[in-house]
Amino acid sequence: MKIKPRKTPYSLTGRLLWTIGALMAVVSTIFWYFLITYQEKELIANFVKYGMSFVDNVRKTTRYGMLTFQEILIQQTVEAVGSTEGVVQIKIFNCKGKVAHSSQKKDIGIILDSKSPACLACHPPDKSHTFTPRWSIGKSEEGFRVLNIVQPIYNEPACYTSACHVHPKNRKILGLVEANLSLALLDRAINQQSLAITIYVFVFLSVISVVLCAILWKFVSTPVSILAEGMKRVAAGDLEHKVEINTRDEMGELAKCFNSMTSDLSRAKTELIEWGHTLERKVEEKTEAIKKAQEQLIQSEKLASLGRMAAGVAHEINNPLTGVVTFGHLLLKKFPEGSEERQDIEVIIEQANRCSNIIKGLLGFSRATSAEKGGENINTLLKRSLDIMSHKADFFDVKFITRLDESLPLVKAGGLQLQQVFLNMILNAVDAMDGKGTLTISTRNIMENGLAFAEIEFADTGCGISEENMTKIFEPFFTTKPVGKGTGLGLAVSYGIIKDHGGNIIVKSEVGRGASFYIRIPIG
Amino acid sequence: MDTGKILVIDDEDIVRMSCQRILAPEGYEVKTTKSAVEGFKLLGEECFDVVLTDLKMPDIDGIEVLRRVKEEWPDIEIIMITGYQTINTAVQAIKLGAFDYIEKPFTPDSILSAIGKAVEQRKEKKQDKGR
Ligand SMILES: Nc1ncnc2c1ncn2[C@@H]1O[C@H](COP(=O)(O)OP(=O)(O)O)[C@@H](O)[C@H]1O
Ligand SMILES: [Mg+2]
Repeated sequence: MKIKPRKTPYSLTGRLLWTIGALMAVVSTIFWYFLITYQEKELIANFVKYGMSFVDNVRKTTRYGMLTFQEILIQQTVEAVGSTEGVVQIKIFNCKGKVAHSSQKKDIGIILDSKSPACLACHPPDKSHTFTPRWSIGKSEEGFRVLNIVQPIYNEPACYTSACHVHPKNRKILGLVEANLSLALLDRAINQQSLAITIYVFVFLSVISVVLCAILWKFVSTPVSILAEGMKRVAAGDLEHKVEINTRDEMGELAKCFNSMTSDLSRAKTELIEWGHTLERKVEEKTEAIKKAQEQLIQSEKLASLGRMAAGVAHEINNPLTGVVTFGHLLLKKFPEGSEERQDIEVIIEQANRCSNIIKGLLGFSRATSAEKGGENINTLLKRSLDIMSHKADFFDVKFITRLDESLPLVKAGGLQLQQVFLNMILNAVDAMDGKGTLTISTRNIMENGLAFAEIEFADTGCGISEENMTKIFEPFFTTKPVGKGTGLGLAVSYGIIKDHGGNIIVKSEVGRGASFYIRIPIG
Repeated sequence: MDTGKILVIDDEDIVRMSCQRILAPEGYEVKTTKSAVEGFKLLGEECFDVVLTDLKMPDIDGIEVLRRVKEEWPDIEIIMITGYQTINTAVQAIKLGAFDYIEKPFTPDSILSAIGKAVEQRKEKKQDKGR
């Protein structure tokens, strides 16, 4: 994206340009004024010098005529000189103020009034009598400026000793020569020069302005705009934005600082976000933990009350069952082997035993929660459970493989409870394998969600568990085993016990190939 | 005949009856009471070889009976009957000197074999003392 600097008079560049422009204009005007006035003064001074010598020449050329009193010669000379270009008029006054000769004949004979300014200049009312060559600038009837030069004609020995004896010896000044020289040419030159100077000043100003503009544009406006745009984007949240100014001046420095600030900001922001995430995750974890603890508590409480009830029921039912079993047996002896009555009584005893089994299963619940949980060695508990089992005749065709991780730390658990769980697992596996197969029991340390668990795996090569049963096996009284053999309480009790320990049971199975039960108990 | 004298303490009629019916035909002399207090009275009056006591009873429980009997009549063997045996209570009972424990519901055979062993042991002890 191309960034365009602002062009309003309020922008930095605008203001700088305005200020510098105004300053330069003022300075140039003053400079221009002084230059022109100085030039004019100089030119006029030169012109005056020239005029003076011109008048001096007039005086000198007419001198001979005067001395020889040849008035016609004087008049001719004056006319000739007066016709020179740039000469407006040449007049010669005599001592009475009368125009004796003039380049314009009509003026001859005019007598200046003694009160006229021309006379008063040399003859002030106080009678002081000084005279030096003088000059002044006036305006002609045609409109151009005219330099007026007046020079006295001094009395000299030649004058009062000449033959005509017109002038007495004691007179100092005999008359005046006045020349009016046109300044038109000079003025034109002056005007041309002023114009040239003005043009020069303007060109100079424009060039300076353009160059300044360009410099400001390139080195100030554009980088400032880029920076402003960058700030806008950063403010809008784009912290990845980098300002691309690679100059080595203050702007480049600023851009560098800005970029490092943005990256610092970005880093801080990511850190913050990360922190927020961590916090969120921690809150989630804690919430999860609290929920789990709560669930566990509820589970424990449920189990405990179920256990109390089971214990009560067991106690109440066991007594009548004792009667049924005892009297059944007593009755049994009264009938000969193979008789129909004996078979009937055997059914009674069998069913009573079944009731007894169910009660034993229920009693598992009463023992599912244990008041005290000490440090238990899972491997030892497993070995003890296996010892009890492997001596049973039903298990002779089952191969037990153990892969116990001896580094397994002690877990806080109820030993009897865990042993019951392990027995249930082993019994189930043996049942599933129908008495022949391999049961592999392994233990290991695992980490899950940052928590350490001891995992005990029971992997059998039995019939496996079908998809639809998978969700039901932990329900109390769910069993797929024939009546009298399964109670459906083993896994329910085991699950209760493991939950009471804050652990979990996971099942993986493939129908026909076997099932694996993973029991996880938290460590520490 | 000298098979032995048995005292059965259980608050349940049917359990006492069962024991009576199992043991009497085998030649044992059986007395039954439904409370520990009565049982102690009888123990004070007569001489018994074996005491069969329920673990859980309303007034005094089986463990207490076991303790008292072992204190006052250390020669008498005691077998516990338990409705819901836990390994803990069983271990506790054995530690306190019980001869054995039987789970309810029991079969006649299990009672007879336990009683038989207990009586035998009792007799051996008597012989040792007699010498
Ligand atoms: N190792 C196993 N392999 C296959 N099925 C199993 C296994 N363990 C448990 N089951 C299934 O789960 C059901 C419930 O088990 P359980 O709660 O122990 O009760 P029970 O063993 O008395 O049937 C069993 O009937 C069986 O169908
Ligand atoms: Mg089972």
